[in-house]
Amino acid sequence: MTTLFINEEEVTVSSGTSILEACRKQGVDVPYFCYHPELSVAANCRMCLVEVEGWGKPAASCCTPVGEGMRVTTQSKSLSKDREMIMEYLLIHHPLDCPVCDQGGACKLQDYTEEHGAEHGRYKEVKRAVVDHNLGPFVSTCMTRCIHCTRCVRFADEIAGTGDMGVLNRSDHMRIEGVVEDALASELSGNLADICPVGALLDKPSLDVSRPWEVKRHRSICTQCPQGCDIVIESRGDEVIRIKPDYAANEPWICDRGRYVHDAFRAKERILTPFIRDASGVQAVNWDMAVEKIVRLLKGKRVGIVFSPDWSIEGLTAIRLLHDCVFDDAKVAFDLHRRDMRPFAFEEGFGMTSKQIVDANEVVILGSDLRQRLPILMQGLRQRSLAGKPVIRIGAMNYRTNSELSADALIRPREWAAVIARAMQQLKDLGKSAAGMDAWLSSVSERHEAGKLLADALLSDSCALLVGEEIRSHVDAAALIHGLDLIARASGHGEEGRDARNLIPEGMNASLLSAVFGDVRTSVGDLFDAAHDGELDALLLIGSDPLGDGLFSMQAKRAMGKVPLVQIGAVSGQVSEYADVMLPASAYSEVEGTFINMSGEIHLADEPLSTVGDARPLWKVMMRLIQGFGMDIPAVDMNEIRASVQSYLPSLREVWGQGVDHNTWRMPVARQRDANVLPVGVNPAMPLDVISRYSMYREGAWVRASASLVEAGNIRALDDVLVHPNTLKEAGLTVGECVIRTASGNYTFDVGVRDDVVEGVLFISKRGVAGDLSCEVMASLGGGQ
Amino acid sequence: MISSDPKQVKAICFDRIHIENQTSLNIARKNGAYAFLPTVLKDFDTEHIVDEVKKSGLRGRGGAGFPTGLKWSFVPRNTGKPTYLLCNADEGEPGTFKDRDIMRFDPHLLIEGMIMAGFALGVHDAYIYIRGEFLHEVEVVDAAIKEAYAANLLGENILGSDFSMNLTVHRGAGAYICGEETALIESLEGRPGRPRFKPPFPAIEGFYRCPTVVNNVETLATIPAILEFGGDWHAAIGVPNNTGMKIFSVSGHVNKPGNYEVPMGTSLKVLIEEYCGGLQHGTVPKVIIPGGSSTPWLLAEHYDTPLTYDAMMKAGSMLGSGAIIVMDETADVIALTRRLAHFYAHESCGQCSPCREGTGWLERVMTRVENGQGCEEDLTVLHDAATHMAGRTICALADGAAAPILSLLKHFPDEVRERLMEKAA
Amino acid sequence: MSVGENVCFSLDRLQEIDVLIKKYPGKRSALLPVLHMAQKDFGYLSMPVQQLVADTLDLRLMAVREVVTFYTMFREKPCGTYLLEVCTNAGCMLNGGNELLAHMTESLGIQVGETTPDGMFTVTEVECAGACAGAPVVQINNAYHEKVDAAYIDAFITKVKGDQL
Repeated sequence: MTTLFINEEEVTVSSGTSILEACRKQGVDVPYFCYHPELSVAANCRMCLVEVEGWGKPAASCCTPVGEGMRVTTQSKSLSKDREMIMEYLLIHHPLDCPVCDQGGACKLQDYTEEHGAEHGRYKEVKRAVVDHNLGPFVSTCMTRCIHCTRCVRFADEIAGTGDMGVLNRSDHMRIEGVVEDALASELSGNLADICPVGALLDKPSLDVSRPWEVKRHRSICTQCPQGCDIVIESRGDEVIRIKPDYAANEPWICDRGRYVHDAFRAKERILTPFIRDASGVQAVNWDMAVEKIVRLLKGKRVGIVFSPDWSIEGLTAIRLLHDCVFDDAKVAFDLHRRDMRPFAFEEGFGMTSKQIVDANEVVILGSDLRQRLPILMQGLRQRSLAGKPVIRIGAMNYRTNSELSADALIRPREWAAVIARAMQQLKDLGKSAAGMDAWLSSVSERHEAGKLLADALLSDSCALLVGEEIRSHVDAAALIHGLDLIARASGHGEEGRDARNLIPEGMNASLLSAVFGDVRTSVGDLFDAAHDGELDALLLIGSDPLGDGLFSMQAKRAMGKVPLVQIGAVSGQVSEYADVMLPASAYSEVEGTFINMSGEIHLADEPLSTVGDARPLWKVMMRLIQGFGMDIPAVDMNEIRASVQSYLPSLREVWGQGVDHNTWRMPVARQRDANVLPVGVNPAMPLDVISRYSMYREGAWVRASASLVEAGNIRALDDVLVHPNTLKEAGLTVGECVIRTASGNYTFDVGVRDDVVEGVLFISKRGVAGDLSCEVMASLGGGQ
Repeated sequence: MISSDPKQVKAICFDRIHIENQTSLNIARKNGAYAFLPTVLKDFDTEHIVDEVKKSGLRGRGGAGFPTGLKWSFVPRNTGKPTYLLCNADEGEPGTFKDRDIMRFDPHLLIEGMIMAGFALGVHDAYIYIRGEFLHEVEVVDAAIKEAYAANLLGENILGSDFSMNLTVHRGAGAYICGEETALIESLEGRPGRPRFKPPFPAIEGFYRCPTVVNNVETLATIPAILEFGGDWHAAIGVPNNTGMKIFSVSGHVNKPGNYEVPMGTSLKVLIEEYCGGLQHGTVPKVIIPGGSSTPWLLAEHYDTPLTYDAMMKAGSMLGSGAIIVMDETADVIALTRRLAHFYAHESCGQCSPCREGTGWLERVMTRVENGQGCEEDLTVLHDAATHMAGRTICALADGAAAPILSLLKHFPDEVRERLMEKAA
Repeated sequence: MSVGENVCFSLDRLQEIDVLIKKYPGKRSALLPVLHMAQKDFGYLSMPVQQLVADTLDLRLMAVREVVTFYTMFREKPCGTYLLEVCTNAGCMLNGGNELLAHMTESLGIQVGETTPDGMFTVTEVECAGACAGAPVVQINNAYHEKVDAAYIDAFITKVKGDQL
């Protein structure tokens, strides 16, 4: 620790802290442009000058470490003149266009000009004008306003890991530019507009729409991925202007998916009123008529319920109440990516917090496109890589991470058991064991060398396994996860505190879902098959879009063509074409509610946006339906619905009570200690494995309703069907039209190639022309037609 | 040959400079190059060498005048990281051209100095960063290094000792700022030469974040003589605290411009009158820039100032790299200031706001003033813009840019005002 | 992978680059020397050439762009067969550098920074060449010519033009 004096006040900070950070900690205001707490120090704006007693000249406080007994002054006549001059230098070439600049009113340059600047500038010479450039659909540029603080360049290097922003030229010809083809190659690009201290980089979708002082800010939770970031939604009247990170929370960045989805909140795809379909078509009706029709369609029927896990936990619990009150024998399903419904040894959700994962000695990503799945966690891992700590990946594709991986093994889905067995064997040879391991090991004959990476990582003191979609969607998922559970336990990573087991969930609220629906859930595929086979009479979809997302669109289409469909949700979609009744529910941004993220962390949303049309929070919709079916309403207000939630998860009492620190409180992940599932082995009936690729710009009903994300998705799209060039060659084919043979039939699609994928796998883009093939596990390739 | 009697020393760095084909290893060796190296490698230890250099009083010849032995002693030992030695041959300060002569006429002296310095510092890889324009010098030094490798003066187990060192010439590409040591390191790492803020200092975290010593060509070329004749011998040349010989690059309005190696403490007047053949016009200089264009100007009244770091400081300027630009009564000091303002505006790396914007501002205002389109307020603007960039930036380029402007305003306000009036009328 | 034009280094060059890279603790250090080589091989550093250098050294294109635009000796556009670089900084200015530059542009009929229509000569003004004792200094294709006067330049231009015929 170092003790110094700031404006005569004694301050003690940890050694190596900069003077600026010491001042910030002390609440002493020092102006700055280029400093940013999340970025490296550049020390180029020179605005943060302070005086240090005994030093001949002022010091830049951002890059000067504190010294014992140092006496720092932040206000003096001489510093005022320095700051005035720095403002004058910076304003030499800055345009006086504040009235038409979006940054106006929230601009450091404007604020400091007021506070520190001279009354008028003395520069009479020619001003600099800089050419703008296209950085894609999210970031707009006005580079003449740039003050060259290089925050954006450091962001691109250090955070995004793309290095696509840079500083060209020198002297006052220096300019910031992006080398981009269509768009910045980062899923975090929207943060650039936030970190730019002036109006050079602005938010493109909300350009020229509002002024900072007009907007109202709503703290909310993003449900676009299981990370559940804290966000602030800015609105003006009924309009939603933009989404920003909640700077009061821990995480400084949000991803583009979570940020730019906001145009969907007011998109034409929103369901604004109840609708019913009759002989004359679809028509808007009032709630009573719609509920009446639902009762007629569903009363006494065998119903299948498919819902999205992203509702608030109050809404989700209300679905269970509907089930218990009205459809207690209904089939219920919610995971559009899970084929194997045998119990998982460790359920979806993380045994570790994001911070624990980032800090672990070893991190192994198992079959996940983590940058698209969990962009913010991937960002943490990128920081870890930068610090020289290892990140290992095993999986079917060299999914881009924008950071160095210490090891990267390409394997096919059918090889997972052999990978885990190889790791298990290594642990066993070292005398490390867990109950049931021998049985598991002896059921797998092959060994795959990639398992060494896994075992070596587990031998470390702390290790994080991030189990991704390639395993979770596997036909033998329960066995693979059991195998991973065994090796984690054998290596001492199976217990609380040293837990390495993290199963990336499908959506939000994973811990709640297993507690509330564990006893009634079934597979989405089975449910649709049952409807198609006449075992169900009707379907109720609550926020779920099985046609757009997940693996079972083919089955869903067949089922929905056969039985009546009731759709409850906030956004319509392809599903709506099949719906006999639609009820509007409020968006996640429009409700008061509680959300649990992948790590079991609790987030409370309590400043909802105004909802649109006749939409109501989901829990109220559920209650209205229960009432329609003539049952007693189990909950009439938020307190009562929360009481129902507590009957499943008693620990939540503390959360809604007072005095719980939401930064540390965690909901534990469910474990199935008796889930002894052995690998059955994959029958290699066909030569190719099929993997359905996830795209953060295309997956999710909200995303598809967002014009800007759809645009980004089109820019970033890979081929709809792709394989390794050798796979095509072995089949005697060339790029272009090919026949794909599967269990469900033969299809003809264009097939493209990439050489950073494993051979023997057919990659399907879920939202592409071949999306329905996502349900397949294996395939073979035939010739063109 | 260099005399072992400090009173008799005529030259150190330039001792062999006039010998023909001194660039060839054979000829250089015949004239004493590398003769003392085996003794150093065999009998000297690190501590001893650093002590001798400290004792010698040698101060960095690149411009800052920082004591070389002290700089070396800052390098931490046993960090587990390699230590690098970089020779700064990015000679770009307007008026400076001394290192070029050492490199093109006696490259083996520099190489020998680097081997000895590298040995003292435990260096395995050393680099000479030569400015891009010096293509000929790059080729000469490169050829000399090849010969040295072939003679086992470089590479593994030099002359049968335990000491191994590689030496590589690295060519710059046109950027004055790369003469600043941290910018040089950035450039050597393949980046734009933008100076780093300090701390950390290069001695702790320099090239690839490893301990690094950056020394000027002339500094390193002085090392062999210091080790051969001893620190005390060197300290006896010149005057106390300003010891040894120093090469002065004299240019401008003198009859015999060139490099002259003289004992520290020789007066400006003696150098200009006796060595450089006097002024082209008149008998008293109008302006003398004593240490390269970045140093404040001296006037005729300072003609007798001894050429030492201390005396120059006392006279209000700096000895800098020893680049003396002399202007006689015919000089247009306003035009010269404008030209130098252009230089600094062109060479600013652009990272610090005051320098990036301030140097361009100064140049534009100076251009107006030179063309007689200035006004009285411009003098305040020039003064403010120059004063508030100096000492407020990461490196000293802004200070250098401010120096000519402030000197002009200080010493020739009447001439400037006259120019304003002249064209206004 | 290159953008647009199909540019590549010769095998000898690639070997030379391999040797060069080994001399540095990090590959990126070879960027300036490799850019010098590329400029020698291709005349100037077009975007495809910059991409080639980036790919050769496993760097991002932006990393190369930053360096190319920072250093004055790297050219993004072609220049004449003879590049005449005139120093007009302090030492040369005091000894006729400006007048020499004016003479050259006048006699070649071009502005500073331009190339003669026949593609023979490009004249530029440069900063201190570090040879002030020989002021005024002109670099012709990077070779130093000192104490240059109008007659010297005229003779050079005449000779070169004569050689052309």
